[in-house]
Amino acid sequence: MTGYAGDTVASALYGAGVRIFGRSLKYHRPRGLYSMEGESANTFMSIDGIPNECAETTELRAGMAIAPQNVRGDPRRDRFGFLNAFDRLMPAGFYYHLFHRPQFLWPLFQSGLRRMAGTGVLDLQGDYGTGVRTERYLNADVVVVGGGPAGMAAALAAGESGLRVCLFERRRQLGGQMSWRVRDFEGEPLYRRAEALAARVRAAENVKVLTRSLATGVWGENLVTGFTVGTEDDPFRECHWECRARTVVVAAGCMDRPLVFNQNDRPGVMQVGTAWRLARTYGIRPGKSVAFSVADDLGLEAAIDLDDLGVRVRFIADARESGQQDRAVFQALSDRAIPFFPGCAVSRAVGRKRVRGCVLRSLKGRGSRRFHCDLLVANAGMQPRIGTLATANARLAYCAHTHGYQPTELPPGVFVAGSMTGLRDPRSIEASGRVAGYGAAVWCGDRAKSGARAAGRGPSLSPGRASRAAEAAVREAKALPGPPAGCGIIHAPAIGRGAKAFVDLDEDGTYKNVKESMARGLDVPELAKRFAGFGLGPGQYRVAGQNLAMIMADLRGDPVETAHATTVRPPLGAPSIATLAGPGHDVHKRTPLHAEQAARGAVFRRAGPWQRARHFGDDPSCRDEIRNVRTNVGILDSSPLGKFRIHGPDALKALQRVYISDMRKTRPGSCKYSAMCNDMGQLMDDGVVVNEGPDDYYFTTSSARAGATVEWFRFHTRHDGWDYNLVNLTDALGSLNIAGPNARRVLERVTGANVSNEAFPYLACRRITVGGGVEARCLRLGFVGELSFELHAPASCVPYLWDLLMEAGADFRVRPFGLEAQNCLRAEKGHVIIGTESEQRVTLTDIGMGWMWDRENTVSKKVGAPALRACERQPGRLKLVGLRVEEGAKAPRDGTLVVDGEKIVGYVCTTRSSETLGWQYGLALVHREHAFPGRRIHLCHEEKAGGRVTSTAFVISPHFYDPRGQRLRS
Amino acid sequence: MTFRLTCPVCGKRDVYEFTFGGQERGPRPEQDGLSAEEHFRWTQFRLIPNEPQEEWWYHGQGCGVWFKTTRDPGTNREVK
Repeated sequence: MTGYAGDTVASALYGAGVRIFGRSLKYHRPRGLYSMEGESANTFMSIDGIPNECAETTELRAGMAIAPQNVRGDPRRDRFGFLNAFDRLMPAGFYYHLFHRPQFLWPLFQSGLRRMAGTGVLDLQGDYGTGVRTERYLNADVVVVGGGPAGMAAALAAGESGLRVCLFERRRQLGGQMSWRVRDFEGEPLYRRAEALAARVRAAENVKVLTRSLATGVWGENLVTGFTVGTEDDPFRECHWECRARTVVVAAGCMDRPLVFNQNDRPGVMQVGTAWRLARTYGIRPGKSVAFSVADDLGLEAAIDLDDLGVRVRFIADARESGQQDRAVFQALSDRAIPFFPGCAVSRAVGRKRVRGCVLRSLKGRGSRRFHCDLLVANAGMQPRIGTLATANARLAYCAHTHGYQPTELPPGVFVAGSMTGLRDPRSIEASGRVAGYGAAVWCGDRAKSGARAAGRGPSLSPGRASRAAEAAVREAKALPGPPAGCGIIHAPAIGRGAKAFVDLDEDGTYKNVKESMARGLDVPELAKRFAGFGLGPGQYRVAGQNLAMIMADLRGDPVETAHATTVRPPLGAPSIATLAGPGHDVHKRTPLHAEQAARGAVFRRAGPWQRARHFGDDPSCRDEIRNVRTNVGILDSSPLGKFRIHGPDALKALQRVYISDMRKTRPGSCKYSAMCNDMGQLMDDGVVVNEGPDDYYFTTSSARAGATVEWFRFHTRHDGWDYNLVNLTDALGSLNIAGPNARRVLERVTGANVSNEAFPYLACRRITVGGGVEARCLRLGFVGELSFELHAPASCVPYLWDLLMEAGADFRVRPFGLEAQNCLRAEKGHVIIGTESEQRVTLTDIGMGWMWDRENTVSKKVGAPALRACERQPGRLKLVGLRVEEGAKAPRDGTLVVDGEKIVGYVCTTRSSETLGWQYGLALVHREHAFPGRRIHLCHEEKAGGRVTSTAFVISPHFYDPRGQRLRS
Repeated sequence: MTFRLTCPVCGKRDVYEFTFGGQERGPRPEQDGLSAEEHFRWTQFRLIPNEPQEEWWYHGQGCGVWFKTTRDPGTNREVK
């Protein structure tokens, strides 16, 4: 298949003679090209392996792979086409009540339905994420939705006023319906007028024009979202926009309101705009012999234009008895020998796989006549595209004059213009755009002026001049013709018994289904939608919405004015999921020692915002790394550790508030280990605090909490007005931990400071000079349970320290260890990791750390203290215990459940087989009645049909390794 | 739903930049003689008024200040 530049997939297929594009959802009826704007799912196809791509709006590219979907084999001969004959068995909502009983058959029905009624097949092995998906965030004074004549006039008026304007147009070109109309207007064809306007808009400096860009919704405070489909020249395949606008001008235009008649879904039935654009935009003859059943002057104009192009127009029916207003069109009609039938509409399309003729009926009398034709252009007039307004929360009501939904109340800063207000005269449409554009300028007020001056932009209007211009625009608009009367036809005549008159093509929802819904008491569109699926599909009420509301009002016997506009849900068009997911950049932080660790074979894993070394080499169990720390010396990059300084006269008060211990007991030169709780007494964070001088403290937090610490301190002191400064040093300082029995001997080689056990005991903190010039904080801690020193130094110096220690430790065969080794080492020691051995249900005391709590202090109003008191003696709490798995028993895994008969009484948090201990240990949270040493508990590994797989373990103290802490202090 | 908030330091910014800190419930209650029920009432109980309320917000993606503002949860807009 070939096409021309600018062709869509649908127009190229149509040009190549394709008439059946797919099969319908429920009845598998053949479907053709109905709309040109992606308003129906008829032309959803699989394009380059991606299902549900809309052929109408997808531009043709060389080398595309296009396949029909929802068919077995060829769409012209579909195996499920027989379903159409059984439609009586498939009333509205049939799958809700027909297949429910017997229940055991439901899965069978369901899988069959899915296969028959599916909309495309997703290849789970396929790569759908190719191409660049990007997102951009804009600020604008005015966002104009719609690049037709009104939108362009609004953009020009606002741009002239010095405002920053952003215009969204879904089509590839500006101009809207004017871009394909050729009738003469004020001395030139309309499309020329559109081109001239478009040239001015593109030349305007402060108007950003986004074509191929659909605005998908207006959200709170005028945030407009949209997406652009990239061309081959764009750096992206799709781009998501979020534009924060001060004002929004909605000039979204109109679309055909479908005429509901018998067999109105046959291939060959199409919208006025579809036939017209095939001929004028794409240069394809839409048919040989065309019948028109329309309801407004635009339809008449289209018919005459096609006649001029040499297409044989069989007849033109106009659902209006009278009221044809456009004299020029009416005159042109009388000049031609085309049969014209006012007050008539097509009531049935003839032909199965494509239209071969139609039946025309008078709306009042009984007369009917049959015609041959191969194309049936039908509508019930035009309906405004209300989607954008609806997402902006505009209040909409049915207007009995224009017979369309009109806003009765607009949200602040939202303006509406163009043909969607019912205007038809090109001058009126442009004038309404100017009214909206200047209105937006007045709304934006003074800032328009100052902003324009600051940016040195072109001509700008002062606020006074903007409002004078706005008044002039209003006067001009008032002098021009207003909206003509619309046509209120609800459906074609004779669509009673046996007729298949579709209200919603996408969901195969017929007029009969509406009646069935009514018969069940679901008599408003929102209920019919849920019951029979109207508007649930890709159409989302855009096409079917107004007809459904009108039909239901009519069937209820209510006046048509009561037809409620139903909710239109964003997005108004479908960007690809990949675009919504975003570009997928993995934004992470690297520690200052990333390169050094990578050079030694580190395997990195994401931990919070960081990439951290999980282990070195290819042994994920880290046996050698663990043994090396226990018996020799290892080095850990602990740079992600949270590091903070707090100083100021009220620093101690703040520490007393958030830490659970008595922070007055911090002494210069030594580390105090403490923890923070939340108001529920749950452990949030732990670390050490060092007193570094009067009202000056240095403290560490866990890596995961580093980002939230400032927020936490300031939140819990927000009412107190305390005077303290908190500085996050996490990224400024790197840190590394040298641990193991030989740690001191390595450290001695790189520093002159006395690091002996007497001069530098456990939990001491000193400033020492390392490597002849780097001043570092050195903290003697023992998270891994061995003699260890932690060096905190400026991030830029840490790689030097690493090299130095590696070199100095070479004789001892020092080697790095990673997070997994640290995790095993600390677990053997019974040290908890927050979120691993603690969770929402447990407090500080539940995990055996209650000794920290300064329970006498109520004056500081410590966060979490009242909860700890309340939960202290509560029955049924989970407690942290150690486990020793029985010799030879099946090894549990992290997360294995602890059971007591049928009851779950806890779970294993961390468990490993320890070479150091010689047995499998675990840390577990179990109910307090099981939480005493010596208790035998049952681990449930798996539950299957044959029964459970269980093993047993004994509760012991969680301090498995060196319980008296001699190694830390050695 | 999206809206903007007025940070006292940075001005009007998108709500994405902020963290919600809950309704203003007054300062932390004195802990001497505080019953568990009073404590949990202060920490857990929330009114859901359909009218403007005082709230705390944290400008975490900006200047890092906690501030109080009056906002109507019905419309999501700040009330001046």
